[in-house]
Amino acid sequence: MDFALTDDQSAVLDAIDALARPYADVPAESHGFHLYSAALDAALEEGGFLDIAGVEELGPITAVLAVERVAALPFCTEFAASALLRPLLPPDLPGPLCLIDARDTARPVRFLPVAATALILDGDEVRAAPVDAGIVAPVDSLFAYPMGRFRDGHLPRGDGIGVAAEELRRFWRIALAAEMGGLLQGALDSTIRHVSEREQFGRPLGAFQGVRHRLAEASVRIEGIRLLARKAALTGLAEDAALVAFQAQDSAAAIIYDLHQFLGAMGVTLEHPLHFWTYRAKALLSELGGRGDQAADAMAAD
Amino acid sequence: MRFGWTDDQCRFRERLRDHLAANLPPDWEEMADGPGSDEQTDFSRAFCKGLAAVGLLTPHWPSEWGGQGLDPWCQQILAEEMWMAGEPRGPQYMNVNWIGPALMRFGTEEQRQRYLPPIAAGDAIWCQGFSEPGAGSDLAALRTRAERDGDVYRINGQKIWTSYAGHAENCFLLARTGADRKTGISILIVPMDTPGITVRPIPSLVGEGDIHEMFFDDVEVPVAARFGEEGQAWSIIAQALANERLGIPRYALARKSLDRAIAILRERRVFSGDFVRVRAAQATAACEAARLQVYACVDRRAKGMDLGPESSSARLATVMAERAAGEFIVEFLPEALGDSHPLLKAHHQRAIVAGIASGAAEIQMNIIANDVLGLPREPR
Repeated sequence: MDFALTDDQSAVLDAIDALARPYADVPAESHGFHLYSAALDAALEEGGFLDIAGVEELGPITAVLAVERVAALPFCTEFAASALLRPLLPPDLPGPLCLIDARDTARPVRFLPVAATALILDGDEVRAAPVDAGIVAPVDSLFAYPMGRFRDGHLPRGDGIGVAAEELRRFWRIALAAEMGGLLQGALDSTIRHVSEREQFGRPLGAFQGVRHRLAEASVRIEGIRLLARKAALTGLAEDAALVAFQAQDSAAAIIYDLHQFLGAMGVTLEHPLHFWTYRAKALLSELGGRGDQAADAMAAD
Repeated sequence: MRFGWTDDQCRFRERLRDHLAANLPPDWEEMADGPGSDEQTDFSRAFCKGLAAVGLLTPHWPSEWGGQGLDPWCQQILAEEMWMAGEPRGPQYMNVNWIGPALMRFGTEEQRQRYLPPIAAGDAIWCQGFSEPGAGSDLAALRTRAERDGDVYRINGQKIWTSYAGHAENCFLLARTGADRKTGISILIVPMDTPGITVRPIPSLVGEGDIHEMFFDDVEVPVAARFGEEGQAWSIIAQALANERLGIPRYALARKSLDRAIAILRERRVFSGDFVRVRAAQATAACEAARLQVYACVDRRAKGMDLGPESSSARLATVMAERAAGEFIVEFLPEALGDSHPLLKAHHQRAIVAGIASGAAEIQMNIIANDVLGLPREPR
């Protein structure tokens, strides 16, 4: 056991931090529901960060650490999917990627309006379909991702790419958990800043035990998600991936509720960035069949 | 970053499992009900001597005091295997986890020579005289007094919720020697057969013989019984409690009990609905999250770093795990609280105090809020 980062991992995270610095704050003119940055996605690709999971000395664990960092920014990027899934895919498949669970065609798809390739998980099959702007309609939603659906309501068929469904599901789950860990940490940090400054009844909100204890509990749950995601990335086991995706989906709703409570009315405005984290987390709650499906796989082994 | 055990660590775990298999009686699980019972305590005395004889009682202690200097990971593996087996060391787990190490660090030479060898030989039972009727979570409000009178301290007061007091030979006692809330507290090592001590068991859900109240009426101990300097208690126990908080790998028995309950439900073919599996996954994830948070603390200890406030986060994660596993079993296998699954009942009895013993969960949350999250402090 060794919980310390290797020098290589520290170097990757330092580089990510440097690259992410311009994206740490929300631009003053922003009043939208999401804050997608194609430039940040492109910078991550140019920096070689989409390939780290496939580099032997770095591996999926480093991708998980990097995804957490990037997800803690108010800006959203497609990074999680590419960082964890690209080692499985044909190298010439163009990004950005979007992930589609063929069982649920009603839900809007994250990143569909900006994606070049849709990866479709259809039972035991994985197919890839090129995404053309002409077949996609953006969906206005509260979710803090660019969301879309196919104009005619039908999934394109796509082509098989020789990826095992079990493997795609496993790394999708790890990507989801890593992103959730970062999102919740970003939301928690933002909330801590607010309750440390905002005073009511003559003292900061963060000095009231009713607030402090719930934040303490949230921080412990988030740390659990982050550590379980690291473990799943290191073991690569299907049940570890299902368990952490479960834990991420199972813990998030209550944490999000609490954080919004502590922001009060400020948290329902678009001038405060909290929703950029919480409404990405909410979009992840139901992916891959939601926690019922993750539980079924996590608890499948005898 | 690497999660996994070395070959040496795996061999050490195997050795412990072999020893447990060879030395626990067939009816051990029935006996595990009641961690402070006469039957279990008697067994634990013989069991600990056996562990000591093969170098498995204090392998993580320095060789000077009978150990082999194994690292904190081996200490954790030892604790996991013992706790998962229903803790056959009985009260002596406490000696090897923190009383012994505290003696090594803060004891006088005379105290070390007197108390460490019996602990290392598996022949010593201690109790900790901390809580009082008016001082539980607010431990610094304790009122038991130790008044210096020439060469002796004279102790008067009452302690409560004391585990193992009915069997202990010595008490690690907190008593007030001065007026200041924290720097007015000192530690005394009090032999339990000293005249003036009365011990009464308190019937409880935890099991026979576990918790007690203790009365001290003009109990005299020599000044040499003081542990550390006068007024130094708070800084000593802050460290001891951090060790105690993580010393019991509760997540390990919680997970074992949960797995056993799930196996029974599978056999009965009632482990197939979404709801039961979601509840099982909640408890499983809570156990594994706690395990990793505790391991993160062991990693710090193994690297010679201070435990830090993260030990409170790990403790809170452990409380969540105990709660989730305990609630799952009560909900889906209620007969476990009867007499049909002794280990599950024993787990339940231990789990119900997880959020109360060695610093209530709410105290851990205060520490996390202050020192992990950096929130503004509550006014006092």
